[in-house]
Amino acid sequence: MIVALARKTLIHEWRRFFPAVLAVAFSGLLLLVQTALVLGIFGSAAVFVDKSRGDLWIGYPGTRSVELGRAIPLDSEIWLRLDPAVARVESFLWVDGDWRSRSGQGAVSVSVSGIEPGADGLMFARALPAEMRERLRQPDSVIVDHADLDKLGVSVGGRARINGRQVQVVGAAQQLRALGGVNILASLDTARRLRYLGDGVADDMRMTYYVVKLHDPGAAPAVAARLNREVARHGFEAWTSSEFSQRAVSFWMFETGAGLGVLFMSLVVCVVGVVITSQTLMAAVAGSIDEYATLHALGVGLRELRRVVLEQAAWVGAGGLLIGVLGSAGALVLAFQHDVPVALGVIPGLICAGLVMTISLLSGMAAVRVLRHADAANLLR
Amino acid sequence: MNISSIPPAQVADRAASAVAIRGTALEKSYRSGKVSTTVLRGLSLEIGLGELTLVSGPSGCGKSTLLSLLGGLLQPDAGRVHALGVDLWALAARDLERFRLEHTGFVFQGFNLFGALSALEQVMLPLGYLGLDSGTARLRAEEALSEVGLSDRIALRPSALSGGEKQRVAIARALAKQPQLLFADEPTSALDAASGQRVIEILHRIARRHNCAVLCVSHDPRLIGQSDRVLQMEDGCILADRRQFEQKELTA
Repeated sequence: MIVALARKTLIHEWRRFFPAVLAVAFSGLLLLVQTALVLGIFGSAAVFVDKSRGDLWIGYPGTRSVELGRAIPLDSEIWLRLDPAVARVESFLWVDGDWRSRSGQGAVSVSVSGIEPGADGLMFARALPAEMRERLRQPDSVIVDHADLDKLGVSVGGRARINGRQVQVVGAAQQLRALGGVNILASLDTARRLRYLGDGVADDMRMTYYVVKLHDPGAAPAVAARLNREVARHGFEAWTSSEFSQRAVSFWMFETGAGLGVLFMSLVVCVVGVVITSQTLMAAVAGSIDEYATLHALGVGLRELRRVVLEQAAWVGAGGLLIGVLGSAGALVLAFQHDVPVALGVIPGLICAGLVMTISLLSGMAAVRVLRHADAANLLR
Repeated sequence: MNISSIPPAQVADRAASAVAIRGTALEKSYRSGKVSTTVLRGLSLEIGLGELTLVSGPSGCGKSTLLSLLGGLLQPDAGRVHALGVDLWALAARDLERFRLEHTGFVFQGFNLFGALSALEQVMLPLGYLGLDSGTARLRAEEALSEVGLSDRIALRPSALSGGEKQRVAIARALAKQPQLLFADEPTSALDAASGQRVIEILHRIARRHNCAVLCVSHDPRLIGQSDRVLQMEDGCILADRRQFEQKELTA
């Protein structure tokens, strides 16, 4: 086009289009921040997997999220060690507990992760410094997330009781928080002692999970499939780490109904965005309707006029998206600084951007309908 | 019927007969709720090339409706419009748009210029849709603006132009397409005497110089003296059809 009518009008009449740009920007901001929050919060459902270094997770068949694990047969470990692809097998024991710090303060439900205390342990290898991990060798010692200290009513070095047994907090680490409860780390021995099995019940040596390191991490899907085919009948199921992580996240997102709530919120954001943006664009088109009608009289087709309006909508979308992305970046930095769990990947980000452009194009399509009034005969009455 | 299927020679041949537009037994009424108002009652007329034809009459007499019908903007209830030999209302909507793009220009009472565009861009805009390249369009637009005496105003936006200048930009916009048919609806009614006079002279000159049929609808009495032919309308009919050749020759 030799005259960039859409773009020049946008720039010249920016005041008229600015509310639409803002509406798109706010829709984008809401979608992006909400997505980042949801991914951050629900991503922490998989913190056990994501902060550890294992290639495979072995657990109770059909387990849908880490905290839903059940004890698996003791001989599972032997079957795993027999597999030539397996380099290392590490135990992970899940214990539900009741935390009391001092009299007068109520109990807090916690989950205790029993892990190998060795410096090269796989579990929570990405969250625990080796030195802090070594401290777990001390009997009845635990590590908590520093953000949970207040909630637990304790400070590093302080003592508390889990299931009635005294423990000492020997460290506070970062990014241990999990969805659905306070996550507390202990050695396998400590965790086993903290279990309450019922009066008179003999000790149970079974583990909740085994985390497996392979000689070739790239072979994880194939090894998991082979284990499930050949030896899982002994009472366990194998997942690759990423698979188990996604399982946990999607369990929380979709099976709990929270994800639906988020989707519903996104839908509301989109609808509100379309309503406001389309109203503004319609007003802008209506404001130039005589000029459009004149062009139509001069023989410029309605199809070409529609293209002008849609191009304006696309520019409004691009401008709004840019502002929305900048605003979101600011909001996410702020959230990060204040320990609010946020996470945003490339694909969710692109989906949000796509939704924002859809909002503006749908609004453009609504505004195109105003062109029906671009009837040159109306100019002649 | 497709416009491109009409051989140019045939169009030219019909043009040579000097009849640009032929309206036959045109009828049009408007409906408002249950009330139907007849505006045109079986009106027939011919508009010639190379002359400025003025349709004058009191408001509500149907002159603007007549212009809409002859310009291919409004479909008659009955009757036919042949423009440059083409039966306009037998065309599909897209073909009719194409016909208007290639053969007709319009000038309206409100100038209807885009606030964002300079005078040059206003004139170039329709040329882009004609498929002209940027260079040719610019050249034609500059020529058209020079013809209406606005060579020194081409970079200005409407907000920096007077009413008369805006109307001249609107005329240049219609003219740059090099149409054989030019329709003007009350082109002077929003202008002061001097500007109005200038617009009339330009329209008249366009008719002569470009052998173009200029059909102008107005109740401005100043236009009567400037027109080659005056159609006096009242109540949906043509009461009088005066040619003013003799008068013109005398003044010449």
